[in-house]
Order: sequence, then structure tokens, then C-alpha cells
Amino acid sequence: MPDLPKKKVGIVSCSGEEMPEGTVTRLATLKVLWELRPDDTVTICLPLFLAGGQGERTFARYYPTIAVDGCERRCAAKGTEMYSGKPAASIVVKDLTAGGELGSPEGKGRLNERGKAAVEATAARIATLVDELRTGRPRQRATAPSSTPSPPMENQPPSQNACSCTSTPPSSVISIDGEKVSMLGLPLVFERFLDSDKVAREEIGPELLKAARVYNFISPEKETAYAGALLREYEAYRASKRMNR
Amino acid sequence: MSRAKPKVVIVPCSGIGKPYGTVSREAAYIVTEELCPGRTQLVPLSLLVLGDPQARAAVTESVAVTIDGCKLACSTKMVKESGGTVSKDIAVLDVFRRHRDLKPLGIAELNLEGLKLARVIAEEMARHVDDLAARVPGASTPRKEENEHA
Repeated sequence: MPDLPKKKVGIVSCSGEEMPEGTVTRLATLKVLWELRPDDTVTICLPLFLAGGQGERTFARYYPTIAVDGCERRCAAKGTEMYSGKPAASIVVKDLTAGGELGSPEGKGRLNERGKAAVEATAARIATLVDELRTGRPRQRATAPSSTPSPPMENQPPSQNACSCTSTPPSSVISIDGEKVSMLGLPLVFERFLDSDKVAREEIGPELLKAARVYNFISPEKETAYAGALLREYEAYRASKRMNR
Repeated sequence: MSRAKPKVVIVPCSGIGKPYGTVSREAAYIVTEELCPGRTQLVPLSLLVLGDPQARAAVTESVAVTIDGCKLACSTKMVKESGGTVSKDIAVLDVFRRHRDLKPLGIAELNLEGLKLARVIAEEMARHVDDLAARVPGASTPRKEENEHA
């Protein structure tokens, strides 16, 4: 079976503008995306679940998601669950800062030192959760800021995974027994099969099913219909690639 | 005894992937905290997404100015979806096209040009808030400096 793309973890921050903790969620998310786990994470703006299309609404189905909220209202966690899917994990900044050594951050646009410390602590917590979600156990490498200072975030180019605002998770609508069904990740699956010179024959049906199931639920009783549809879609994909060469 | 003057609601987008989202956030802070404090109210988009009753009431009982960082226009769409009236929607990209020298860079922290672009947008919003105040009886008094310029 061809290698599938590595599964990433989605991070959704509330970014609440009216309180410093909202700014903390935003900066902590960016720190994880750019510095701590650039290869393992993606993000999406919370409002895109409503303003965007089907791709955005299936975000939490496509990625195991960590919701990062500033306060107990948990807009990111609740919003993600309402419009996309239940987050796999959730963090509330006020829980991390209240009553602890960190203290309450101040400054919405410009965080004070306590706010910056809260960003570090929140980012470290997110990174730990990312590792746990990806591997099922904490990673050995340190999640806290290393002793070697990293370059300022604003000077780092955003990685290709920095945001999904304009690059939605790939989804396709295919016909299964005459019914339109939205499926995720098919172009990625097809590309890997194409790289392996797989021909669209009946024998690869089970392989296609297995690969498609990484990101899609396929009920056992509909396997045959799905396998046939996936073969047709793969053949069409191959043909379109041949024409473009 | 006069009624409480209605505050103009300012709703920036929560864009986290590009500097334009940060510009919208910064502009909202400038107008609500510096240029028109007391006459404007910042409403977080995340609360509108959640359907928070207070946030929805804020946008339905007043008029809103929205600032969007990209063409998807999340804040404008969310205000309308929440039953609010958008009296002015500002697209950061459109303002940038009029001020090509103010290219914003940095998402976590804006460069100087980005901060200037945010101020240009905030000034535009403040003028609009003044216009609204002049048109709506009982609304907030226009800013002093704007009167002097007029």
C-alpha cells in the first residue's frame, strides 16, 4: 500500500479580541505552528466554520483538533463542535494562569510579561497535546522553550501549514449508488497510487478502500459500492493527469 | 434625562494566517481604545460564532462596522448572520491597494507599515462613526479633532 500523508493535528484558537487571554491563544497557536511543531500542525480561523464552505466544516473530521480558548465560555471548543466536529482536546488559558505562578496577563494588543509567559506555557501545553494525539504518548523531545532562543516569530516565514484560511482540506463529492457523498483526502490518496503506477483495476479496490478510510467512514455494507466508485474516480483522476502531461 | 447613547459595534476578523487579519485586529483596538473610546464597542467574532446572547444583542441593537482580512469576509457574514446591520464593511486588502507603501508583514507582530495601515483603517472607521453620530439624533458627539478638521 502506498504511503499516505502524515496525519496532522488541527489547532483552533478563539483569538478573542476583547481580553488578553484571547491574544494569548492566538500567539500560542502561532508559536506551535511555526516553532514547536511546524510539521505536525495546521490551523483554521474559527469563524470560517460558518463563513466558509464544506471543506472548512469538515476540518475537525479531517484533523484531530485541539481547541484553545481564552476563557470559560470556550468559544473555540463549542464552535468547533457545533459546526465541524468534537475537538480531541481542549485548553483554557485562564485555567493555566488563574491562581498559579503565571498570574493574569494584561494588554490585549501588547501583552505584558505575564502575558508572554502565558503564551509560552500555553504553547508548551498545546505541543504536548499534539504529540499525544499523533503518537498516543508524549514525545521525548522537550516541549517547553529550549534554552537556545528561537528567532522572533514575526521574522519567521509562515510554514505551508500556517493556516488553512485559503487552503481547505481537500474534499471531493462522488456518487455512491446515485447518492452524492463528500469524501476527504481523495486527491492525496490518488496521487500516492499514481506515484506507485497503480492501474485502476478491480484488484486495487480493497487498497483504495483502506486508504480512503483513513479520513472517511465507510460502512461495511456499502464497501462494494464505495470500491467501485473509488475505482471510477481514480481512473478519471489518472486520465486527467495523463491529459495534462 | 437622555438615553444611553448607542455604541457603534466594531467587529474585526479573527484571521490568523496572514498579516491582514492582524491589521484588522490592530485597527479595531485603535478605534475602540484610542480614537472613539466610549462610542464604539469591540465585539469578538468568536462570541458571535458561538451565538452568545450578549454579543448578538450588541450587533442587533446598534450598527456594526466590520473589518475583514480576506475575501471570505467572515466578520461581515457573521454580523449579518447574527441579525445585525453592517453600516460599513472594510476590506483590509482594498485599503492596502490605496496605500501600496504600507505593506503589512508579520502575523504575531506587525511591522511598522502594518501598524500604519491599521491606523489608516482606524481613522476611516472613526470618520464613519462621526458621520453616524451626525446623522442619528441622540447619538454620540463627533470627535473634537474631526470637528476641527471639518
